[in-house]
Amino acid sequence: MAGQMWRAVAIFRILTLAYAAVLIVRYHHFYAHPDAGLAVLAVMAAWTAVTAAAYAGPRGRIPALICADVAVAVLVLLSTRLVDTVRHINDGAPTLPVTWVAAPVLACAVAGGPAGGLAGAAVIAAAVIAERGALTGSTFGAAVLLLIVGGVVGYFVRFGLRAEAALERAARHEAAVSERERIARGVHDSVLQVLALVSARGRELGGEAAELARLAGEQESALRTLVSGASVRPPAGGLLDLGSLLEPLGGSRVTVSCPAGAVLLADEAARALAAATGEALDNVRRHAGADARAWVLVEDDGAAVTVSIRDDGNGFAEGRLAEAEAAGRLGVAQSIVGRLRDVGGKACLTSSPREGTEVELRVPRN
Amino acid sequence: MCPGTDEPAPGGRSPGAAARVLVVDDHPMWRQSVAASLEEAGCPVAGTAGDGVQALRVAAATRPEVVLLDLHLPDLSGAEVIRRLLAADAEIRIVVLSASGERQDVLDAMTAGATGYLVKSAQFSEMLEAVRAAAAGKAVFTPGLAGLVLGEYRRLAAGARGDPSQAGGAGGALSAAAAAVPTPRLTERETEVLRLVAKGMTYPQIASLLVLSPRTVQNHVQNTLIKLQLHNKAQLVRYAMEQGMG
Repeated sequence: MAGQMWRAVAIFRILTLAYAAVLIVRYHHFYAHPDAGLAVLAVMAAWTAVTAAAYAGPRGRIPALICADVAVAVLVLLSTRLVDTVRHINDGAPTLPVTWVAAPVLACAVAGGPAGGLAGAAVIAAAVIAERGALTGSTFGAAVLLLIVGGVVGYFVRFGLRAEAALERAARHEAAVSERERIARGVHDSVLQVLALVSARGRELGGEAAELARLAGEQESALRTLVSGASVRPPAGGLLDLGSLLEPLGGSRVTVSCPAGAVLLADEAARALAAATGEALDNVRRHAGADARAWVLVEDDGAAVTVSIRDDGNGFAEGRLAEAEAAGRLGVAQSIVGRLRDVGGKACLTSSPREGTEVELRVPRN
Repeated sequence: MCPGTDEPAPGGRSPGAAARVLVVDDHPMWRQSVAASLEEAGCPVAGTAGDGVQALRVAAATRPEVVLLDLHLPDLSGAEVIRRLLAADAEIRIVVLSASGERQDVLDAMTAGATGYLVKSAQFSEMLEAVRAAAAGKAVFTPGLAGLVLGEYRRLAAGARGDPSQAGGAGGALSAAAAAVPTPRLTERETEVLRLVAKGMTYPQIASLLVLSPRTVQNHVQNTLIKLQLHNKAQLVRYAMEQGMG
């Protein structure tokens, strides 16, 4: 994109050179020094060629050359006073290079953005006024136009370059996502299937094979979470899908049940629920016995989202909360309650020896 | 052994005989292993297939009672395979196997007419039990499926509240057709039972908690699925009619 802009500067310079050439060739007989007029035209042509060649590559687009560009334009502009008659100039005759002097302003804008463009325009505008020797209506108009061109072109150049960078980032991101999807398909078709098979058959065999099966099952669910790429999808408007936060908590002893669609919650609420659920599951592992299984149910009734965590371990009878407190269960429950209170929700713990223990977490939507 | 029944429900066919199973999975190793295990357990395998089109062809040729269908197929969606299998043989029973993280696919498959759902990491004994139950015409519910079904009823109820055309107010053929498909609802008892299933309780546990017979619990659970399947079918018919009339 930068290359195209520099090419546009070169084309502008050539077109304005042609315009200046027409005027100089046509009117040089009326100049005080006709041959000098043609010499200035030759200098302009040569400088046009030099800059077109230099700006074509990134190595030529150096501040020194751009400053020289402005300097040459100023000198050519001021040479009008030496070449043309004072009467012509005072009558408002065009300068020798006419619009050619706007080319270095464009070069400044492309190289330095709005600030560069305005700085270049200010120098050239000062030279335009100096050439005329007075601030007349036409020199003032030319100066303002130069400043506008320098500022506006600089702005759009910067804007365009930023847009290009953003587009490039998006394209890279998309390429990364599709590569990840390709890998996910490959993994799904091979590794995951084998791990699932090992996990299923190993448990049938029992003994040491069952331990291997458990490991394979854990790796399967970890790998599946990794390649399913829930994290790739950016959250929609600060909302998170509670389902994809909780699903990774599932495993050989934990079943997570959710609605089919996304359960969208505000970022903090979703994270608080997920953290509290994780804590409740840790609690099950610690207190409900090594063989206890747990089920996590996510329900969304529109007004609120409820997460229930039930285990089939040895629950405790109601009225024996002191015992539960001694066992440390209530302490953890208090921390869960705190997490939920922060996001306007609440938690309650129910337990009976027959049904195990159930923690219910509820967060209302505003 | 893999008998078709211990308590044949209406619609379960060939009671007493072993159910013949078609195993559909795109992974050859999984397919062969499952087929071998089924044969070992005394469950005849009618055939195996690696994609949806092949599954339909093999099903037409071998007429299995039960299809063990992986949802991840290279050509057709699981729901599409199920619709076509049922169109060719309304009595066929389909048990869906799926990896976790494909919740919408599972729900689509179940509403399309599958009678059972297992996660792929289920133990083989569970799979065998599921095939047996499906052959007997029973729905095979897992906690995950109960969660999906609960969510779907809530989604439908929210849609009915939020969409005025569902209330049947506006005139016109299309909205009349839309109003002709009422939104299915869960009874309080059904909701209660489904929530307990989703929280991992077994039918006998639920039965004793709610003071019901296990058979009644089973019926409640099964009804929730049948209502969704009927609704799905009615919607498809409505859609076809709208296309025809449009």
